[in-house]
Amino acid sequence: MANLNTKWRAENTYDAIVVGSGMSGGWAAKELTEKGLKTLVLERGRMVQHLVDYPTATLPPWETKYPKGRIPPQEIKDHYSVQNRTGYALTEYTKHFFVKDDENPYTQDKPFDWIRGYHVGGRSLLWARQTYRHSDLDFTANAREGVGVDWPIRYADIAPWYDYVERYIGVSGQAEGLSQLPDGVFQPPMEMNCVEKDFKSRVEATLHRRVTIGRCAHLTDPTEEQLALGRGPCQFRNMCSRGCPFGAYFSSNSTTLVAAERTGNLSIRPNSIVTTLILDPKTGKADGVRVYDPERREDLEFYADVIFVCASSLNTAWILLNSTSDRFPNGFGNGSDQVGRNVTDHQYNAGATADAPGYEESYYSGRRPNGIYIPRFRNLGDPASERKDFRRGFAYQASASRPTWDRDLTGEGFGAARKEALSQPGGWVMRLSGVGEILPYSDNRVTLNHDLKDETGLPTLRMSVSMRENEAAMRQDMQVAAAEMLEAAGFKNVKTYDNPYAPGLGIHEMGSARMGRDPKTSVLNGHNQMHECSNVFITDGSAMASAACVNPSLTYMALTARACEFAVSERRKGNL
Amino acid sequence: MLTRRNALHGLSIVLGASAVGFTVQALPAPVLAQQLAGPTALTSKQAAVLDAVAELIIPATETPGARAAGVPAFVERALATYCEAEQAEAIREGLTSLDRDANEAHGKPFASISEAQQVALLSPLDIAAANTAAPSQHFFRALKELVTIGYFTSEPGATLAVRYDPVPGQYRGCVPLSQIGRGWAI
Repeated sequence: MANLNTKWRAENTYDAIVVGSGMSGGWAAKELTEKGLKTLVLERGRMVQHLVDYPTATLPPWETKYPKGRIPPQEIKDHYSVQNRTGYALTEYTKHFFVKDDENPYTQDKPFDWIRGYHVGGRSLLWARQTYRHSDLDFTANAREGVGVDWPIRYADIAPWYDYVERYIGVSGQAEGLSQLPDGVFQPPMEMNCVEKDFKSRVEATLHRRVTIGRCAHLTDPTEEQLALGRGPCQFRNMCSRGCPFGAYFSSNSTTLVAAERTGNLSIRPNSIVTTLILDPKTGKADGVRVYDPERREDLEFYADVIFVCASSLNTAWILLNSTSDRFPNGFGNGSDQVGRNVTDHQYNAGATADAPGYEESYYSGRRPNGIYIPRFRNLGDPASERKDFRRGFAYQASASRPTWDRDLTGEGFGAARKEALSQPGGWVMRLSGVGEILPYSDNRVTLNHDLKDETGLPTLRMSVSMRENEAAMRQDMQVAAAEMLEAAGFKNVKTYDNPYAPGLGIHEMGSARMGRDPKTSVLNGHNQMHECSNVFITDGSAMASAACVNPSLTYMALTARACEFAVSERRKGNL
Repeated sequence: MLTRRNALHGLSIVLGASAVGFTVQALPAPVLAQQLAGPTALTSKQAAVLDAVAELIIPATETPGARAAGVPAFVERALATYCEAEQAEAIREGLTSLDRDANEAHGKPFASISEAQQVALLSPLDIAAANTAAPSQHFFRALKELVTIGYFTSEPGATLAVRYDPVPGQYRGCVPLSQIGRGWAI
């Protein structure tokens, strides 16, 4: 038996283990393997291979099983009651990239929409691809306001890593020279349509708010390095969430995992639910991880010198909380009691819409997988932008478009006149959607629920996360300021909206193992290294000490690449 | 440099290129066969009413109508595999009631009366359906939605009644509508 164990251990020991294969895990895999580390990537879900496992990527509308690719109402009730709450993401074209809610239960002490994809690539296949940098306005905010804990890094620490990641993944965008939204390494920007161009010039002239094209992780002028990975330029199909047959948007599957595989140093093991980090009590270091394989229905162990946990914010918290020992009775590296706390997201679903008459002779061709963007203009540190009623700020994602035939499926009328009317584009409409910061609150937390087990017998998560006064006041302004801009642009029928939103629905869960300067009040140091265990690094959304109001994936990737360099350097020096 | 043509070539190797490079004037037989082979949900009498009603909702004009686009089979498949049982039953009953109304008024089934007579029976239903307080309960509203979706997502509807471009290759933000002529299919 001892011999068998020794043999298993010898055969299952790596230089590095990466838990998770999404946005952060893919980057950890690429960086660690390129630096020569034999690396095992553990993914809880099934394999999804680039191109091969995108079954709907080129499916024309007439080959869908269901009307308009909608999921049958009964199937939604049975399997997707939470996953369907975005209202747009879950379709026949994409449902194989979402979990079934009945198989992945959790408890909502307060409403929380947990939208997940368990498979190789994770949500990097499904993300909205909007790509923005945090600024020093964001990195200094907690310290200035006495909210949460101070970020242990500043913009200068991460800026070169933003450059590095953007150059590699490919980001289309326009430089604007704004301090609150730093410019990056951009491929050519996508074009605005006529209405958006007029909106931009009028809003900039009258309200002095910048309007720019969205910055998105799509190739518009691929580099040699990107072409060599088998990636090509965006074809403007806007069918991204089915998986891109051109590799034109960034995903782990199309990019980082391909690069990692080419090093010859990558092993990837799907169907591997990491249940615990194994502590070596003699050294105080992590020895490896314990895995439950739901197909083989057995527990397995894998070992490594260094472990990157990139399981996504809430599942990373779950792993840490589930990894108890004499040394860590409240969870791995959780002497601070901050694991599972400070959970945040971005608030969405508030803004305004308008009609834009006068452009009836104008249209567009191609489907741009991107919108326009209005960077944050509140609380920038000057008196003019200061708000008394809330801290921090919000940005807008927006677009103008002409609705197509599906704009009126049920209204009065039938026959040739209706057919002809629906064959023409509808009138121009413009929509502004706020993306607002949610502050980190220590009692916005997730905990383990041992009373509710999943089908493999593992404990589940209990969510208690809510928005507060600051978020409510901001949400009001997200509507008012949007309407103000649509009025300034001269558009008609301006209407604000405030649609239901519960935390989680932004699909930007963050904060559950935050970075900080003090081990007493934070889980990770300024290199994403656990204060209490030097060979464990966490570089997914858990690390975020605050949310800012920009889409966070770029920051996860930059933090991951930065932490990988640090970890490999420390390992070489014998410091891990 | 990866051009659009090269990219498409690559796509065809990987995925068989079923979605690109076709032109449609006639009905694509394999697709229609696939739809017709689907499960059935209607009696032959109900199917005959559906056939007529679908064509009334989306008639043939200079472009194909619902019938030529295979919409009746699309709706029948949706009733069998997509709709909730209550909704599907409401539509079946609605089709039967149209036949009953036609028989009472004209002594013939709905499919056999004149188009003017069909329109006269359908118009009050249409107004009631569009203005009802409980929309999901009215069969004609649900039916119109299915027929409209079925038509504009069919190959003839998507490619002839509106403009279909599976792989645009570029985005142009300001194009005269006259250059495109119709709305986009997707």
